[in-house]
Amino acid sequence: MKRLLTVLLTILMVCTVFSCKKAEKTGQITIHFVTWKPNVPEVWDRIFRIFAEEHPEIKVVTEIGPHSSTAFHDMLTQKLKNHSSDVDVFLMDVVWPSEFASAGWAMPLDGLFTKEEQKKYLPPVIDANQYRGKIYGLPLFIDSGMLYYRKDLLDKYGFKPPQTWQELVKQAEFIMKKEKQKGNLIYGYSGQFKQYEGLVCDMMEFILSNNGWILNPETSEPGIQLKPAVEAVRFVRDRIIGNIAPQGVLTYQEPESLDLFVQGKAVFHRNWPYAWRISNDPERSRIAGKVAVTRIPHFPGGRSFSTLGGWQVGISAFSKHKREAWEFARFLSSERVQKLIALMAGKAPTRESLYHDSDVISANPQFSQMKDVFLRAYPRPKTPLYPSVSNVLQRYFSTALSRRDSDIQSLAEDAAKEIKSILALSNR
Amino acid sequence: MSQRRREILFGVFLLLPCFLFVTAFAFYPIARSFYMSLHRIVLTMPALGKPYVGLDNFKGLLLDRVAHRAIINTLLFVLISTFFEILLGLVIALVINKRFPARGLIRASVLVPWAIPTVVSSQMWRFIFNDKYGLVNFLLYGSHVSSYRAWLAEPFYAFLAIVTADVWKTSSFAALIILAGLQLIPEELYAQASVDGATALKRFWLITFPIIRPAILIALLFRTMDAFRVFDLVFVMTQGGPADSTNVLQFYGYKKIFAEGLMGYGSSISVLVFVISFVVSLWYLKMLGKGVFQGVMG
Repeated sequence: MKRLLTVLLTILMVCTVFSCKKAEKTGQITIHFVTWKPNVPEVWDRIFRIFAEEHPEIKVVTEIGPHSSTAFHDMLTQKLKNHSSDVDVFLMDVVWPSEFASAGWAMPLDGLFTKEEQKKYLPPVIDANQYRGKIYGLPLFIDSGMLYYRKDLLDKYGFKPPQTWQELVKQAEFIMKKEKQKGNLIYGYSGQFKQYEGLVCDMMEFILSNNGWILNPETSEPGIQLKPAVEAVRFVRDRIIGNIAPQGVLTYQEPESLDLFVQGKAVFHRNWPYAWRISNDPERSRIAGKVAVTRIPHFPGGRSFSTLGGWQVGISAFSKHKREAWEFARFLSSERVQKLIALMAGKAPTRESLYHDSDVISANPQFSQMKDVFLRAYPRPKTPLYPSVSNVLQRYFSTALSRRDSDIQSLAEDAAKEIKSILALSNR
Repeated sequence: MSQRRREILFGVFLLLPCFLFVTAFAFYPIARSFYMSLHRIVLTMPALGKPYVGLDNFKGLLLDRVAHRAIINTLLFVLISTFFEILLGLVIALVINKRFPARGLIRASVLVPWAIPTVVSSQMWRFIFNDKYGLVNFLLYGSHVSSYRAWLAEPFYAFLAIVTADVWKTSSFAALIILAGLQLIPEELYAQASVDGATALKRFWLITFPIIRPAILIALLFRTMDAFRVFDLVFVMTQGGPADSTNVLQFYGYKKIFAEGLMGYGSSISVLVFVISFVVSLWYLKMLGKGVFQGVMG
């Protein structure tokens, strides 16, 4: 027994000595990077490898959070609330900078991220990273809603890509019926309708494309209880869910909805730009080569709107290694890393110059077509209380869509009242 | 110092570590929640400060229709899930109390669902109820599904799904406690009753049930307390949706505190859960005190 103990102790001591030595020898500074579970992990492995080669003095430890933006937000803010020093660099969804800035979690980058450098990015993403005149994040990639469709099926039945939602529903119903007669079960539409942040993004596109709004950009008054917004929600409930989209979309986030599409079980699919590569990858998709992309439809009299999404790199105000954190953040947002992400993961860059890069465009031909959509992509309401506003919206949309007999008008009025009382807090 | 005083001092000394532990990990957090529930604390807007607002948070809770819905959901969840858990637990306990081959193995395996971490079993149930590849749809509609049901997309079924997952997981815990009660019953009582000509049903109502009643009550107490705190099932399976049909109090409080940063308001929800569980447990303890041990103590 005694001998065993001695052996164990010796092993322990040797290990301790060795691990000390390693750290001493290299004198590395460790920074912690909080990110989500990526769709294409290979590209991230490569990014980390390049950084490690070029910056042997900085060791990046990654912590991977959940894929869902809402769940990732809860995990990250929990750390920031505790002023945790083991977060140095983190990814921020496009709606978070106001909140993180107001709460004092994200470090203002004005001294480092110069105005001149900012001019190299697309204007909407720089705007999204500003709060009260200061900038809090480095744009990494841009997202905006796009409509994917089965080119082969539309061609087969002589349809052009739909301009309006009504056309989309008609085409979908027709194709579903015809294909069913041949024994091919296919749905018309798949999107994101689970009670989470993505639901707000999807519904915003319907509402705005009917000349409605969520919060009036000038007066900050909610507009979800007004006629255009209510009509749009009713259209989604009556004509889309359970009709051309399976009832199950009410439980779908991006991966589940994309799954239905790449299995060849949906004619139309709303998603972010990353879905292009996956749906055209023969290893992951049954419809590779049969996919095309166009802008989100609109209602008659309205115009197409895409929700602005995308991710930023932020630096924690509580980081003990801000210089190294900046080094890493700047690297992530650099032209070559963005190019790598565009080539390998199909994410749309935030730097203007990459839209003229022939490699990027030949790998992602949809980008040149989508650039004006990105430039016009519409931001979600900008307020530090956005999480509360979003929860009210998620609840309202989910209730309105999943209950066939719901009184949409009165639900919308209740939600608008709640949003008003939340926003009243920030005017104190 | 008299013998008695010394004994009391020694007793206090022995209690101290436990007392300190409970103070640090139970009393302090509870007191802190009460304190925070009386303030308005918005984490994302530090400029507002942390003003004392009296009972404003609780007044807000009274008017909050989402909170009403969450209270109703929680109460329904507690009632339905504990009822089925105790019922199934009783059945399981009666079965594994009988003598049959490999009884030890069966008894141990009955506990497996309870031993699996809730997050894991919730994920499993989420898959089982999945609309595209879920087991439930496969069993009901076969592999060439044309008309499947998206269980977690419909408010009513989503709620049933979390109840089912909870019943599956914790019935065996109720069974374990009831089994302990069953083993107190001397075999002679049954032998005597048989001689007297009592039927199986009569034997159950006149012998088994009175003796295991305290065990059932204890199982009920544990299960009720636990069901009030349901969180992980909802977090994994539905995130409170669809249409808030599975939004329970603890999840709502979590959302307020962790997602929205409303520490004050969220704390008032925690206080509400605490008060409800406290009242319920007092009531149970009173029931337990009312001579329900008679059966055992004779």
